Amino acid sequence: MTLELNDMQGLLIRGFGNLLGAQYILLRFSDVALGKQYVNELLPSITPATDKPSDNAVQIAFTYAGFSFLQLPSEGLASFSREFREGMTESHRQFILGDRGENAPENWAWGNPAQEEIHLMLIIYSKDSETLAEKLLFEKTRADKFGVVELHSLPTGLLRDHKEHFGFRDDISRPIIEELVDNPVRQEGVTFPAGEFIMGYKNLYDEFAPAPHLPVILDPENILPKAPDFADKKDFGKNGTYLVFRQMEQDVFGFWDYLKSQGKDKEEAIRLASKMVGRWPDGSPLTLTPDKPDPAMSTSNAFGFWKEDKAGLKCPIGAHIRRTNPRDHLVTERTQKDSLEMAAKHRMIRKGRPYGVPVTEPLQPTEIMDLPRDNEKRGLHFLCLVTDIRRQFEFVQNNWVNFHKFGGLEHDADPIIGNHYKSDTVISDEFSIPEYPIRRKLKDMPNFTVIKGGSYFFFPGLRALHYLATHE
Amino acid sequence: MSTIHRGLTVTVVVEEQMLEEINALLMKFNQHAKNNQAQYKENMPSTYFISWLTLPKQVYAKGVILPARILLMTSFVGNKNRHILELANFLGQRIQAVFEYSEEFPPTVSNLPDLISFIRKKTVFQAFYSGFKFIPPQEVSREKEIKDRVFEYLDQKRKYPGFTNLSPAKIKTEIEDFIKKQVEFGWVGQGTKSKKIDTFSMLLPLGVFLFLMGCSLICLILSIFLAPAALFWIGLIFPAFLVALGVLFLWLRINENNSHIANEPASDGWIRQIIEREKNSVLNEMTVISPLKKGLIRRIFLGLSLRLITLVGYFSYIPTVHTARWLQLDGGKRLVFIANFDNISEAYAHDFVDSDNRSRNMAVVFSHAAGFPATKWLVKRGYNHRSQYMNGVRVHQKITQFWYAFNTDLSVENLKNNHKFREALFKKMDEDEIREWLLTI
Repeated sequence: MTLELNDMQGLLIRGFGNLLGAQYILLRFSDVALGKQYVNELLPSITPATDKPSDNAVQIAFTYAGFSFLQLPSEGLASFSREFREGMTESHRQFILGDRGENAPENWAWGNPAQEEIHLMLIIYSKDSETLAEKLLFEKTRADKFGVVELHSLPTGLLRDHKEHFGFRDDISRPIIEELVDNPVRQEGVTFPAGEFIMGYKNLYDEFAPAPHLPVILDPENILPKAPDFADKKDFGKNGTYLVFRQMEQDVFGFWDYLKSQGKDKEEAIRLASKMVGRWPDGSPLTLTPDKPDPAMSTSNAFGFWKEDKAGLKCPIGAHIRRTNPRDHLVTERTQKDSLEMAAKHRMIRKGRPYGVPVTEPLQPTEIMDLPRDNEKRGLHFLCLVTDIRRQFEFVQNNWVNFHKFGGLEHDADPIIGNHYKSDTVISDEFSIPEYPIRRKLKDMPNFTVIKGGSYFFFPGLRALHYLATHE
Repeated sequence: MSTIHRGLTVTVVVEEQMLEEINALLMKFNQHAKNNQAQYKENMPSTYFISWLTLPKQVYAKGVILPARILLMTSFVGNKNRHILELANFLGQRIQAVFEYSEEFPPTVSNLPDLISFIRKKTVFQAFYSGFKFIPPQEVSREKEIKDRVFEYLDQKRKYPGFTNLSPAKIKTEIEDFIKKQVEFGWVGQGTKSKKIDTFSMLLPLGVFLFLMGCSLICLILSIFLAPAALFWIGLIFPAFLVALGVLFLWLRINENNSHIANEPASDGWIRQIIEREKNSVLNEMTVISPLKKGLIRRIFLGLSLRLITLVGYFSYIPTVHTARWLQLDGGKRLVFIANFDNISEAYAHDFVDSDNRSRNMAVVFSHAAGFPATKWLVKRGYNHRSQYMNGVRVHQKITQFWYAFNTDLSVENLKNNHKFREALFKKMDEDEIREWLLTI
């Protein structure tokens, strides 16, 4: 099935890596008619997937509250997934996501509806900081004109060598959408049908991903395409998807201080940190090069765990990369095939960017460990695109990242992004490293990342945007 | 004593209007169990899980009303009679208080033997699965304790120069010497009970079946060369079995052509009620009860499938599940499924739909339940299989008013790991085996 790129926003298929500046602007409508006019005027500025701009790109996403405010028909609103309708901070969603303690929405800077209601997000990409400043000013003026209130403007900054703030190369493993490749061959866990990430196409279950829809009668202008699963409905979701946004603040000094306290020297601290991540700081995977980093493998992604490292002696079972993408080995599965099939059903396309000033550049752990703590806020604006929030994002977060019994472990949440705590019934602040003759356990880990904001958005196709801006 | 894990299901019909009162009573008992976990553990040493709930009326195939019921389902280890005695002794008063609401409960029940007799009489057949075979409840905490203590000991020893260079055999000796010195671990010296008899017992029905079929096949071949008529008649058993199976499949295939009536989507309110109850940090429970699709063949086929599951139970595997059972009620018109599993049901349900193999196995049972996805030739799935399956589970999921779990802290992998560690103590192993065994600590 050919992808309708001209109806998609560009972020679905590219990260705008050539546009170095980026800002996430969280907004709220104040008037329905003005809000729709705003979307209508903005529409021509939205960068479609067919364009690869060299100066600016603008993308837009809405929360459920935003769609409600713009009075999207109730049938349409009801057809969004429950997770999206409830929002990230609903009590059960909080439970699923492990947003408790330090990570509880009460402590967030944004995204807690008890404090404020976000309606939409503009994502602005620009080639450099000057162009970005100009574009932001332009969009601010446009928003003001239509009574659209800016709530937060979240800056980003790409770090050198594709690193994140702890000093590790990031974003190496990316799912490939089959429809974007010439002569695609299905490779379990590597290539994916578009329906895993874009609505209106078949997913790994050979089904159309559940998408929001409207009765035909509510689309008299015939703007929207037909819904694939319902003859009497129009597809509001086609060429759109859900966008999950989490602001994860990273405690870089806390991370390396903890590791220094666990290792006898810097070299050991780096080795332990790499065990936590599953890759060396340069990105080379422990599974392929367990004893020392190999720069030639810094982007290597063609490896599994089933044959190479079932016991986790190279890359621990609880390491970050084994939890977020277990590839071909889940401890609870009896065959490599079942593991592959299971893991493939829970992938996401990540599109986030770091924010804040790096502690040093380049981000070499040996240097970071020598630096005194500063007061800068830094971290990752985690964005992911999925057609099923529960099956993809929430499943990974709940079952693999935060479940302290993952893979037969006992008290271990994800060492990097997991919520580490002790309660009456749960201890999740340990990290097990299988070694001979006895595993090593790192204990009393603080949280190295803390959630500071978040929300579920819907990232519509262009026809859906047109409908939203013009519907009666 | 046998260490085979088994299930007990006791059920009676009850008037629908009584359910509210019974539910209130069960929830009161549930709170009592939560507040008195230690007392329950002490007095029901063979019991792993109890799910106790009421089931409202359901409609089977256009207008046939299936009655409201009370269901008491336990997962236990060992002898069934001993388990029933244990239940009656400790929970007798509560069992009586709940089952008294049913007209099936004899008013003459006045003592323990009467109650035991009632429980036995109301027990129904089920296919039962355990994910951690042959581990008795009383071993759970002490196997965990000894493993933790050994870990602490080795963690200390790690600091001694040369310790990490010791051979696997020497490390194992160190561990065993340490254990010998701990008075409280004297029980380890007794070793573990051989699983041979229990394994044999579990495999016996399958063995008998295969033996019978094998003999029949041999007799059939021999009857070509030898005269005795008995050979011919015995030889007919195997082909007759295949023919019967073929006829049943054809009959089922005809039934599969009936128009498929999908379940209405489960409402948000209902889902919220269910998930609100599964907030235990390690284990949770799920009960799904659905009428079957219309047609006698569905009832027959499901009945046979459940017996087949029992036959091959020793080899079956469902990840993250502690125990599960499937059974039929009301003349086979209702399917009951309960599972005790790690983490939450949204994650657990994926274990079924995300693997092609398990999705096929699941269809053998669930394709007979009303509203669950239509199939062809039993296992060939149709479009929207996953979505309809997930929805079917939610629509037919019931709220379990009383749930007791002996173990609330250990995942099924933890249980197996701890047992594996303990089993190998004081046993001869080669170096590679010891290296692998050390990973369990």
